[in-house]
Amino acid sequence: MSRVDRGYRVRIFAGIGAAALVLAGCGSGAGGTVSDGDLPDQVKVVSVTDQTGTTAYVGSSQLKGIELAIDEINAQDYLGDTEFLLEKRDSASDTQTAVSQTTEALTDRSVSALLGPVLSAHAVAIAPLVERAKLPTVFTQSGSEGVVIGDYTYRATAPMETYFVKALERLRDQGVGTVSVLYNAGNVTLAGLGEHTIPDGQAEYGYKILSSTAVQATTQDFSTTATRIAGEKPDAVIVLLVGAGNSTAMSQLRQAGYTGPVVGNPAAGAGNLAPAGAAGAGMYWATDFSFHQTAPSSAAFVEAYRAKYNGENPLNYAAEGYDATWMLAHAVKNSGGASREDIQRGLEQVVGEGFDGALGPVTFEGNDMRVEGVLVEWTGTEEVLVEGSDVAE
Amino acid sequence: MSQLMIDAAVLGSIYLLFCLGMSISWGTIDILNFAHGGIFMFSAFVASQIVSHVELGLVAICVISAVVGATVSAAIDVLAFQPILRRAKNQRTAELQILIGGIGIGTIPVAIVQVYTLSEPFGFLHSSYETTVHTFGGMRLSSTGLVVLGCALVLTVSISYWLKNTSHGLALRAIGVDPETAELMGVKRRQLSLLTMAISGGLAGLAGALLTFNLGAITAESGETLLIKAFAIIILGGVGSTGGAALGAMILAFSEVLVLRYTGGGWVDAVGFGLILAVLLLRPQGIFGKKEVRRV
Repeated sequence: MSRVDRGYRVRIFAGIGAAALVLAGCGSGAGGTVSDGDLPDQVKVVSVTDQTGTTAYVGSSQLKGIELAIDEINAQDYLGDTEFLLEKRDSASDTQTAVSQTTEALTDRSVSALLGPVLSAHAVAIAPLVERAKLPTVFTQSGSEGVVIGDYTYRATAPMETYFVKALERLRDQGVGTVSVLYNAGNVTLAGLGEHTIPDGQAEYGYKILSSTAVQATTQDFSTTATRIAGEKPDAVIVLLVGAGNSTAMSQLRQAGYTGPVVGNPAAGAGNLAPAGAAGAGMYWATDFSFHQTAPSSAAFVEAYRAKYNGENPLNYAAEGYDATWMLAHAVKNSGGASREDIQRGLEQVVGEGFDGALGPVTFEGNDMRVEGVLVEWTGTEEVLVEGSDVAE
Repeated sequence: MSQLMIDAAVLGSIYLLFCLGMSISWGTIDILNFAHGGIFMFSAFVASQIVSHVELGLVAICVISAVVGATVSAAIDVLAFQPILRRAKNQRTAELQILIGGIGIGTIPVAIVQVYTLSEPFGFLHSSYETTVHTFGGMRLSSTGLVVLGCALVLTVSISYWLKNTSHGLALRAIGVDPETAELMGVKRRQLSLLTMAISGGLAGLAGALLTFNLGAITAESGETLLIKAFAIIILGGVGSTGGAALGAMILAFSEVLVLRYTGGGWVDAVGFGLILAVLLLRPQGIFGKKEVRRV
């Protein structure tokens, strides 16, 4: 062995030794592995969400809820001397970026838990990774199957079909006998409503479907469908679209001569229906959260949110992010530790007991959240609660 | 059926307004501008921001959007496309670099608007213009649809006339056939190229405003969705043919409307683009395109 080789090997061993010392020195806390039953000064939580890109309005709102919850957890000394430390990652509406950021988080043993992304495509891709790495992860939105797949994956958004029935109940109360359906076949959740929940509800809620039109996710103009639907003269129309599609469909339905009620979905909120102006009036939809909700825990959240964000009203995405973060805080408190295993055990207790959060009283089916939901209606200028739909009152 | 024809004509006119600008720059100065969708959307976005502060009518908004589109497009030509053309080793390399460059440039306005709006839709909610619906013989046509139809018709005829019967148009067509020879014959290639890009951008801006009025709202990604359709329309009609673009837009719109009316909406793109593929297999140069003759 030459002197050069020996010197090289000495440097390598010295480097490894130094790295081992650094890692050992980290022990527990924000910089190193958190041991079971250990409650370090800081519990590191990573958020992977879309702060930019096509779903930035969802991710940014979710993040506001998360940050409010972190502020409260730390300000209230909810975990004694232990504080939550949030690290934010912008997945920019890109699946590969979300996967890469998640991989980075799960290989960092100082990360105790993950607040997951909002898009189903992202969540489905990362769920097996966090499950295998045993990193407790709470998703919001991400309504498709393949997201909540084991003991380490949780979802703080109730599946839409569980509260969508509130809208179908209103159709029955309004005496609606016939409906025409327009839905986005490219969205798993909305396609599920359009192809299963709504057809299956015909007998129970007393309506008959006159036509059901699937459109692609890229469709921007609905004039042909609007003309056909208006010609069918249904008692009500069900529009299950995302983003700008909601305002366009409403404008074109009204221009085609349809004047009756329209059932929408929560994607019509968040300002998406506003560009339709008066043409949007008459659309109502069931949602898991409205800032008008009167449940004490919801009202407290709305008040705190307005105080932090200059009077802005929270969207459902913010409420979901807030509750997801508090789930983690409750989990740490329940288990008395902040290791990944501690948090998973704590989360089991959280989902077993339920809690009162921004979304109101929440329960769980498996690791999946359930809420009562409320009905809201667009008046042409603002969202209002449909009278009698707020059961938590 | 008559109402379907009206719906299809309005949809085809929207497609046509969008792809006219692309068709001009591609057919004359050989610039296939994939930033066209970004210019289209960004122009409407700027107009929507102005309208949120000052109440304006349809004409004023269309003018603002067209001016923004023309300015942005001319800037892209000066800052990106002309330098690429100057440095490229040959025409084929230049075309490829412009195409890739256009895709890259097109992402910038989209990213800006995404960040500004958080990808929420925007429109001209505070405009003084209100859409009215006209009924005749049981058919309905909105005032916006009427404007879209009228603009598409007038602009198609005007541009076709300009390209065929004016000295500028002839010079542009000469550039399209042989740029070097055209320059030797005294054609001011750079100035005409800039003018063409400005007109192309102006048309993108106008289309952006009209589409926003017609749909009520668009998003940062709306232009990208139309881009691939415009590309197909131009190929279908024949590159460089304004009439071909008009026919291509109408064929695509009518096929989409018929598919949507009589089958599931999920087949719209498959049938529309399948039809285009069939035409191309039978007539590769497009409906109004001329066969390219290469001399040895």
